[in-house]
Amino acid sequence: MKLANKTMNIFFIAGLYLTVFLLDIVPGVPPMLLTVLKKGVIFSLVAVSMNLLNGFTGLFSLGQAGFMLMGAYSYAVINISSSLKPVVYQYYSPFFNFSLTEVLGNALGGFGVVLGVTVSMIIAGLVAAFMAFLIGLPVLKLKSDYLAIATLGFAEIVRALIQLEALAPVTNGSQLLRGFPYFRGIFIPFIIVGICIAVIVLLINSTYGRAFKAIRDDEIAAEAMGINLASHKRLAFVISSFFAGVSGALLAMYQTTVQANTFKSAMTYEILLIVVIGGIGSVSGSCIGSFLFIACSEWWLRFLDNSNNNIFGLNILRSGFRMVVFSFVIMIMVLFFRKGIMGEREISSENIVKSVKSLICRIKKGRCNER
Amino acid sequence: MNADILHLDNVTMQFGGVVAVNNLTLDVKEHEIVALIGPNGAGKTTAFNAITGVYEPTNGEISFCGKTVVRNHPQGKMKKLYAGLNADKYSGEVLKPTPDMLTKLGMARTFQNIRLWKSQTVFDNVLIAKHMLRTSNVFSATFRLNRQEEKQHREEVSELLKTVGLDDVKDDLATGLPYGKQRRLEIARALATKPKLLLLDEPAAGMNPQETNELTDFIGEIRDRFSLTVLLIEHHMNLVMDISDRIYVLDFGKLIAQGNPNEIQHNEKVIDAYLGVEKNA
Ligand SMILES: Nc1ncnc2c1ncn2[C@@H]1O[C@H](COP(=O)(O)OP(=O)(O)OP(=O)(O)O)[C@@H](O)[C@H]1O
Ligand SMILES: [Mg+2]
Repeated sequence: MKLANKTMNIFFIAGLYLTVFLLDIVPGVPPMLLTVLKKGVIFSLVAVSMNLLNGFTGLFSLGQAGFMLMGAYSYAVINISSSLKPVVYQYYSPFFNFSLTEVLGNALGGFGVVLGVTVSMIIAGLVAAFMAFLIGLPVLKLKSDYLAIATLGFAEIVRALIQLEALAPVTNGSQLLRGFPYFRGIFIPFIIVGICIAVIVLLINSTYGRAFKAIRDDEIAAEAMGINLASHKRLAFVISSFFAGVSGALLAMYQTTVQANTFKSAMTYEILLIVVIGGIGSVSGSCIGSFLFIACSEWWLRFLDNSNNNIFGLNILRSGFRMVVFSFVIMIMVLFFRKGIMGEREISSENIVKSVKSLICRIKKGRCNER
Repeated sequence: MNADILHLDNVTMQFGGVVAVNNLTLDVKEHEIVALIGPNGAGKTTAFNAITGVYEPTNGEISFCGKTVVRNHPQGKMKKLYAGLNADKYSGEVLKPTPDMLTKLGMARTFQNIRLWKSQTVFDNVLIAKHMLRTSNVFSATFRLNRQEEKQHREEVSELLKTVGLDDVKDDLATGLPYGKQRRLEIARALATKPKLLLLDEPAAGMNPQETNELTDFIGEIRDRFSLTVLLIEHHMNLVMDISDRIYVLDFGKLIAQGNPNEIQHNEKVIDAYLGVEKNA
């Protein structure tokens, strides 16, 4: 029975990936759908990484945008093709004329490019993780709200520092960076995010993940049972930031450009919204929440921003109105659906079968006993 | 005579003007069951917290298994505020380990107001306590290179749950259990860390007389089976008198008596302060 469930889950995931693959190669798919899938999958990763911290370890951190920014910049800076550098950089300095992917690509051909991109994404994650390691010690001593404020402040500081003129030869100040390799389809981002989330899930279900949950449930008991709070919190923080860094690199590829301005604290709130909508403490919830959120903000609710439309003859729509609606949504969520879509549950073939069965039962008889 | 496993020397715990524990000197020998009793607010739980590293004593020294693990004395500004008897004696290096360090040395405790991990099953509550004994690192644990160890821990947890009689509810949520079983689970969780010294804070609170009797036997059993030393706080006098080798009595943070159950029962100070006034906690 247990094995059957496992196989079913594998089929479920394989089916998902097959669909994505087909969407990628079949012509005539609405481009909006592809955009939503591509951006949604990237936000899935960062939402899951935030959930690892906020949902599974109970650390209310709001530094996600900062770590994404570091990942995005790391990826861009080490990969901008050397021929484009003089054009891209306002203060071009030949001293820093190096592109990892280009170097590897020239040496090893197509494989080199793949290797280069992979290695750069890992570097992007490591840079974010290293920063988390450095600030983790002082910051994680703070409790709940103070931790949120400190991490939020950190993210803003990073964003300001990146735009410093002194760093312009590397970061191009507040100008954008472009000319680095990126993916065209949606399949590869799905693969990368899939691997990353799989690793996070493995971690959550390992003895360390259980320790994180113990810290979330009761810190004092966790500490009394021999779990070192400082080192475990730091570990969760570093790992979460690593994946935020990787998703930052992915976002850079999605946008094909990087600019510090996109990584404002509003972005962290969006990720937080996704986590809350999906369910704090549910990985699949974060993924669903992410696709829903991106679909709404990029596609379904776009009409709200268009001042040519009107609702009930009222001309209240204008650019930014979408965000007002979102604020309402989060207020309603927090007031009435505090557990989000998934609560702490996860999607699995078993759960789907169970809920479909109970739905059928309910339709047939009006009521149905459990199991 | 057995060696001291735990020794408190003039341990004082002050919260501002409140002296919750006042120059407590106490020792627990290997394989003993020692009780710490006293009226409400006497400072028993505070003493436990000082022993297990939750609080940092304001003065005094604690040794565990022959090693000084906690040491402090009032310093700087604190000198005016905090009284410290023999403070010079403890003026060596200040030692303030975190609770997990002391648990790793072999102390494990339960809590007066049960602190189980709410979202976890009975089995997982005990399994998480095994985390401390891991040899895996985060990498090997994530990529399941520690299967052997994980399997061994799971087997030990199953075994332990059978021993404490929680085998049949192992997949239930911990907080769904009746009170008595939750207390037992807390003991099982503490045992999972393979302690030398078990500290029980009111293990019989909220239990009916029958459950209390069962618990009395149970504590004796686990003491022998796991060759433990037990220090316990309890208000149920039957349990205390049945089970304890020695008893310490606290009142307003001060030690007012110590001795075997018979001596304590006939000690006038204790009768005045505590036993005489029958408690219905
Ligand atoms: N963190 C703290 N800050 C200030 N005062 C405290 C603190 N912890 C305990 N106290 C005080 O110390 C005294 C002793 O409390 P403690 O909880 O140790 O009593 P107890 O002997 O365990 O009582 P009970 O039998 O009710 O559990 C009380 O007066 C309490 O108010
Ligand atoms: Mg108490």
